[in-house]
Amino acid sequence: MIHVEHLIKAYPDLERGRFNAVDRISFDAHEGEIYALLGPNGAGKTTVLRILSTVLQPTSGIVVVGGFDVVTQPELVRHQIGYVSTSTAVYDRMTAWEMVAYFGRLYGMDEEELDARIEEIFDRLQMKEIRNVLGAKMSTGMKQKVSIARAIVHDPPVLIFDEATSGLDVLVARALLDTISELRHQGKCIIFSTHIMHEAERLCDRIAIMHRGRILTEGTLAKLRDSHAGEDLEDLFFRLIAEHDRAGEANDPAKLKV
Amino acid sequence: MNWRNVQLVLSREMRDQLRDRRTLFMIAVLPILLYPLVGMTFLQLKQFMQEHKTRVEVVGREEIAGIDGLPPLFNIQGNRFAESLVGESGLGDQVELVFRDQDSRMAGSQRGSQKSDPEQDMNLEQALANARQRLTTGEIAAIIYFPPRFGKELELFRQELANRIIAVRNPESANSDNSEPVSGDRKDVPPPVPQPEIIFSSANERSSLAHLRLSQILHQWTLAIGQQNLEVSRVPLFAMRPFEFRGQDLAQGAIRRAAVWAKILPFVVFVWALTGAFYPAVDLCAGEKERGTLETLLSSPASRAEIVWGKLLTVMIFSIATAVLNLVSLGATGQFVISQLQQMPGFGEDLALAPPPFLSLVWLLVALVPVSALFSALCLALAAVARSTREGQYYLLPVLLVTAPLMVLAISPGVELDLGKSLVPVSGLVLLLKSLIEGNYSQALPYVFPVLGVTAICCLLSIRWAVEQFSKESVLFRESERFDLRRWIIHAVRDRNDTPSIATALTCVALIFLLRFFMGFALAASPMETFSDIAVMFFVTQVVIILFPAVLLTLLFTRQRRRTLLLDRRPPLSAIGMGLLLACLMRPVGDQLVVWIQYLYPSGEEMAAFGQLIHDLLGQAPNFLWIIVLIAVLPACCEEIAFRGLILSGLRHLGHKWWAIGLSALFFGLCHSIMQQSIAAAVMGLVLGYLAVQTGSLIPCILFHMTYNSLEMVSGYLAKHSEEILEKRPELELFLTKSGSSIGLACTYQPFLVIACGVLALYVLVWFGRFSYVPSAEEYLEELRHQRTQESLV
Repeated sequence: MIHVEHLIKAYPDLERGRFNAVDRISFDAHEGEIYALLGPNGAGKTTVLRILSTVLQPTSGIVVVGGFDVVTQPELVRHQIGYVSTSTAVYDRMTAWEMVAYFGRLYGMDEEELDARIEEIFDRLQMKEIRNVLGAKMSTGMKQKVSIARAIVHDPPVLIFDEATSGLDVLVARALLDTISELRHQGKCIIFSTHIMHEAERLCDRIAIMHRGRILTEGTLAKLRDSHAGEDLEDLFFRLIAEHDRAGEANDPAKLKV
Repeated sequence: MNWRNVQLVLSREMRDQLRDRRTLFMIAVLPILLYPLVGMTFLQLKQFMQEHKTRVEVVGREEIAGIDGLPPLFNIQGNRFAESLVGESGLGDQVELVFRDQDSRMAGSQRGSQKSDPEQDMNLEQALANARQRLTTGEIAAIIYFPPRFGKELELFRQELANRIIAVRNPESANSDNSEPVSGDRKDVPPPVPQPEIIFSSANERSSLAHLRLSQILHQWTLAIGQQNLEVSRVPLFAMRPFEFRGQDLAQGAIRRAAVWAKILPFVVFVWALTGAFYPAVDLCAGEKERGTLETLLSSPASRAEIVWGKLLTVMIFSIATAVLNLVSLGATGQFVISQLQQMPGFGEDLALAPPPFLSLVWLLVALVPVSALFSALCLALAAVARSTREGQYYLLPVLLVTAPLMVLAISPGVELDLGKSLVPVSGLVLLLKSLIEGNYSQALPYVFPVLGVTAICCLLSIRWAVEQFSKESVLFRESERFDLRRWIIHAVRDRNDTPSIATALTCVALIFLLRFFMGFALAASPMETFSDIAVMFFVTQVVIILFPAVLLTLLFTRQRRRTLLLDRRPPLSAIGMGLLLACLMRPVGDQLVVWIQYLYPSGEEMAAFGQLIHDLLGQAPNFLWIIVLIAVLPACCEEIAFRGLILSGLRHLGHKWWAIGLSALFFGLCHSIMQQSIAAAVMGLVLGYLAVQTGSLIPCILFHMTYNSLEMVSGYLAKHSEEILEKRPELELFLTKSGSSIGLACTYQPFLVIACGVLALYVLVWFGRFSYVPSAEEYLEELRHQRTQESLV
């Protein structure tokens, strides 16, 4: 479903010169699977997901989503995905229903199918009471629900969640994770970025630990534990990042001079 | 493009804007309130202004006191101007008279009292000095000054005048007293009276106003004295103005009204169309970025072009609505004010105050559509650049600064619609509208297509620009970063690419323009008298202004310099040969183009004289080779390295070769300071850019340029000597025209030759299409995308 190979995203930076926010990463994610990108802030998770959703363009590498290339067929890729991120906000001056219906129409759904689908989603996500509430009047949790409804309205095969639980209280976050889990059972390919360890542990089939634009290790939870002497995910996470930082410092010529 | 998506975006944005209180206020409420408010404020201010009195000091009043029969300047109480001068105009109330130092003397004595004259003069001068002091401090606004002996001399003058009349009546008695002849000689005119003065300061607004008011009142007084003198001389009053020219206006009321409104309405409506486009554009682009909903929209299947079109139509609707609502509100308020004014005496006759004819409003609404389209596209592209609403609003002023002069130019007196002006964006449209409102349909009709064509091209370019902005991630996800010039330069040199970036290309253009501007002053100041002067001018223009920035930027900001300047590949011989042929074929076409341009935009006498001067000075060259070097070799090398080398290479990163060629040609045209030259150069720039892209080499371009410029001398020679040549070889008349006939639209060459050369040149250009050009990475990507889209459509 998702194929990423040697992906690089470089940004010009006045201080550091050209730097790679995403540095030669490769991974695959499949149907009925939740793939987690786990990493601290600034690891490059959001950049990868923005590239998957065609909002950003890769500097080099191959990215194929649902069989379409993100660089040359961005419009077709967008038909295949539902994208929820901290930076995909809800329109202030639109009600929940209007917002979801608007995106459904942009995905080319016809009115009858759309109405039935939105009813079903609103039912499932318990959004009936915010149906006619304007975006500006919604709480963070309500907004997140609307975003998810917007992302799944066209029933896409690929779902991309970028830090989807950030800013949500425990109750709402829990309900959201349940929804995502349910979507996996429907056979969706879900890619999920987070910096919260237990979310990844609880939800994801496979986990990639990212730091400074690189994937440090990747695999199922069990495989990760096996290959790293039975450490739990949190210990593994801290150790890998510390090792990577030390190696980075040793290789940095600027630091060596000091 | 999927129009359903455009419609979806449009209806969403419309609903969104209509739910926004700020926008609604700007678009609907403000126009309704604005004009009544402005009217009220104006009336209030006017009252305030009327209540403001002007204090005027009179120095030397005693000079005019007690002259027998002089029309009174002041009233009996002596505290204001005489009623006979100010009447009921209210002018008398607006001036407060002040008398100071001389009052004590006035009380005791009249003019010509026992006080000696020198003492009185001194007093008067002292009083004037004091009054001047008060004028400087702003205590008073102006001074009326009657100089010493003013009254005495005036009285003498009047007496003399009366005596003369008696003398004319009784010539014998007069002749016995005075041996000089009486009539027909200026010598007997009485000596002039010392000039009284109004002292004021034009730097001070109040003082200027006082001067204006006093001039009016004192003019009346002088007239009254003049009339009295005529009476004394027994000359009837009408002898002074035996007749007057009566103006007869052939324009009927409606046409006169239309002419007045034709100047006002386009300006008012277009300014509001721009304002009405600007605020929604900022909200729809920068506002969406700020609120974080842009990323949501960008990850939907709507393409960038569909999003831009949807937003554009929204902005356009709001732009039109703002303009129309303003027009309606202005009309309603105006109607009310006019009806009020017409009830007042003296106003009913004034047709300029009547409402505009109905048809003018129809034309206005028709013209509003293209104008709003243009402004909306422009605002949208600019707003897409902005990161926040605040930043977006900063861009309003530059837009106004660019568009307002174009509108003002069109409504300036004496500016008429012609083909040249119809091709200027905005101005052409305003002029066309003006003609239509005035009812000059026959004058307007021929220019409808040029005006609409230019407007459509500008619209499409702006829309294209807006779509580009929406596709650029650097614009969409621009983070605010601390700017440090030193770091930025280090970064630009350290992280430079093989070929220049778009920014480097644009920097080169900017440097060339700046150098051209400043060196232009230096060159204009230096004398231009000999051949060496002109040689220096050509050298400086080409090497310092054009070549130097290009070479400097190539060295600093590129890694592969030869590739940047298209000097790394050896072009095939056939390309060189065809390039030379193309230059020969293009020469007659170029000459014809220059004639057309001259016809459209005739150059001023100054420019023609300058051209002649350059021509004459070039004629002083020691030998022919010098001229070739100056007008052909030097420009060919320098301009090609800059425009087809660095600038075109940089612009190729835009991703569309025709955009790169078009822009480099535009810049090439603009760098020629004379407009007529610019247009011709831009056309040649297109041909040269195409050669550079297709052959991947600068050599054919340099050779083309050199040949083309050299052949200009041949053309010039033929134009000058065509009659002699045709006398000797009449058969050449097949190809050449007589120089006498080269006025109007014909050039040195016969039209059939020009057409034949044009067709052949077109063939050669098509031939160049066979080269498989090397696309830049961006161009390759665009082609691939296009190809994939076509495949998926199939």
